[in-house]
Amino acid sequence: MNKSSITEIVNKNLKTRYKKEARFQRYGQFSIFVAIIFLVIFFTSIISKGYTAFNQAEIRLNVNLDYEYIDPDRTGNIEEIRYGDFDGIVYEAFYKLFPKVKSRADKRELRELLSSGAGIKIQRLVIEDISLIGSQIDLWLPLDDEVDMLLKGNIDVDLPESSRRISDSQINFIKQLQEQKIIENKFNTTLFTSGDSRESEQAGILGALVGSALMLSITFMIAFPLGVAAAIYLEEFAPKNRFIDFIEVNINNLAAVPSIIYGLLGLAVFINYLGMPRSAPLVGGLVLALMTFPVVIIASRASLQSVPPSIRDAALGVGASKIQTIFDHILPLALPGILTGSIIGMARALGESAPLIMIGMVAFVVDIPSSPLDSSAALPVQVYLWADSPERGFVEKTSAAIMVLLTFLLLMNSLAIWLRNKYEIKW
Amino acid sequence: MKNIDQHNVNQKKEFETVGSISSSKDVVMSVKDCNVFYGENQALKNINLEVGKSEVIALIGPSGCGKSTFLRCLNRLNDTIDSCRVTGEFSLEGEDIYSGDMDVVLLRARVGMVFQKPNPFPKSIYENVAYGPKIHGITSSKRELDELVDLSLDRAGLLEEVKDRIHSPGTSLSGGQQQRLCIARAIAIKPDVILMDEPCSALDPIATEKIEGLINELKENYAIVMVTHSMSQAARVSQRAAYFHLGDLIEVGDTKKIFEDPEHELTKNYIHGRTG
Ligand SMILES: Nc1ncnc2c1ncn2[C@@H]1O[C@H](COP(=O)(O)OP(=O)(O)OP(=O)(O)O)[C@@H](O)[C@H]1O
Ligand SMILES: [Mg+2]
Repeated sequence: MNKSSITEIVNKNLKTRYKKEARFQRYGQFSIFVAIIFLVIFFTSIISKGYTAFNQAEIRLNVNLDYEYIDPDRTGNIEEIRYGDFDGIVYEAFYKLFPKVKSRADKRELRELLSSGAGIKIQRLVIEDISLIGSQIDLWLPLDDEVDMLLKGNIDVDLPESSRRISDSQINFIKQLQEQKIIENKFNTTLFTSGDSRESEQAGILGALVGSALMLSITFMIAFPLGVAAAIYLEEFAPKNRFIDFIEVNINNLAAVPSIIYGLLGLAVFINYLGMPRSAPLVGGLVLALMTFPVVIIASRASLQSVPPSIRDAALGVGASKIQTIFDHILPLALPGILTGSIIGMARALGESAPLIMIGMVAFVVDIPSSPLDSSAALPVQVYLWADSPERGFVEKTSAAIMVLLTFLLLMNSLAIWLRNKYEIKW
Repeated sequence: MKNIDQHNVNQKKEFETVGSISSSKDVVMSVKDCNVFYGENQALKNINLEVGKSEVIALIGPSGCGKSTFLRCLNRLNDTIDSCRVTGEFSLEGEDIYSGDMDVVLLRARVGMVFQKPNPFPKSIYENVAYGPKIHGITSSKRELDELVDLSLDRAGLLEEVKDRIHSPGTSLSGGQQQRLCIARAIAIKPDVILMDEPCSALDPIATEKIEGLINELKENYAIVMVTHSMSQAARVSQRAAYFHLGDLIEVGDTKKIFEDPEHELTKNYIHGRTG
């Protein structure tokens, strides 16, 4: 075969080869395009539903912190003051804005416009600074979630009165307040500073956030060292026999067991048998650790296997013992992979709700947990709970909670990438 | 299977060679009836060889004949390969290498190795050389260690090139520099025997000369087993040579004799570049 004919043959094939390449690239681009479309739909739907939750309708009231309401016997004792009639103070200030309203029914309608959080806000202020008692101050106080929804345009005022939860006269009152320009949308700090509540305008995500963070730290502290140790043993020390094969198959199986089964196991072992408290981040963390454990083992083993055998030879060749070879040479090279795999496993654990429901973390918990033994909510379960609430106000709260969860995930995954780059050894 | 076994036995009889050395020299390492299997495949068949003090023995033979496998038996590095099975008697200064009494860490400290493919640790040049002395506690102070590192790099002919960047990664060196770094790493722990698997395959003539000089110098105190594909190198540096062929040790003897008047047809063909 002479030279020119080879050129011809190659030339003939060349076109189809490049075509194949271009086609494959287009497939790839198309897949990424589809993925991006879904992401955009996902984020716009969540953000457009949820961003309003970061604001909350508030009213500026001139409240009179009268001794009569707060501390009629003038004891100056915090415990007495705590049980003062703070709602009364709010109502009095509110009625003053509507001098013409006299009937009890109308007054009740007015009261419904206010959030019960208004009184609580004043109570907190007064307890912090008793010297405020007796003075008169301007305060921004939260309005009821129905008002909030109305102002955010989520309530159709054209519906017949009987099928909305806000009456014509109430809408009228709001209009008057708006004309006086004392209603405003303020940043909703409550969302980030309080726990769950039956009233959507008082419900916050902090309890769930703290609960999830506590759980994840427990998960990490248990699953990471145990998982890495198990992987090192299986990879480097274990004899290659049937029994180890059997263990390996089981670990792979465990990684695929539905999470709810871990929840059942946690319920049976930790709560019923060992008597640990229900709804506690400790139990949640243990259950999630069980779930993450096989994932850490698998990721760590894959990472250990990918260390080139020549490094092992080099270390053993200069007389390093097995454990020195592992800790001085193999583990540093495997660490980025181990960390990335483990954090991805943890991120999955963070988003898990089924096992937490099994161990009672679905309970309604108002307080923010201060230790892993306290009752607590968790982010994914909070999403589930709020999504299940009939009140309109919880719709946007649900999306807001999802956004917080996604931010948490984003932080974890960024941490994974940062750690990988930090510990990656350049060859 | 039976047939092949039969065939092997016949071959073995034909090629039976004893690599003993004249009793006047003291023997550092001796290997008797060494057989190595990778799973079902036999890589080495009935090898008998002795390594004497202050000598360089060159292992030559076509690619895949089992030279590297043999070297790795001498410091028990084949233990790390699951499928590999080694039988036979190996001794280092009278001690059985494969017995339970022999500590494998100690063995590898006494039998250093330079690998066929350069395999520096992904750490700094300094760390590469200092690691062995550090884990064995050879030096007692940082200064002593620094000196040892410098000396080892110098003897491997690398110090001039890297002395300004001794803390940059060893993996950033060129292939030939990496090989010399591995040599420096091996000699830093002052082993009794050094196993070298084609130490000069990636080196230019000048670096090769330097390494050959080093080998000449080292052999005063150490025994060196060296694999090489360069006949001229084997002739230059080794006192004895062993010719391997398809897992058999065909012939072993004084290098001069092997090159000038080989006993075996296969050896002759190989040395003269003919394929048998
Ligand atoms: N890890 C292993 N697993 C299975 N077989 C192996 C392994 N290492 C080597 N072998 C086989 O053993 C035989 C000898 O290999 P070895 O590496 O010792 O050859 P060599 O003489 O060093 O060759 P070269 O000159 O090319 O380096 C070869 O047939 C090879 O396929
Ligand atoms: Mg080889």
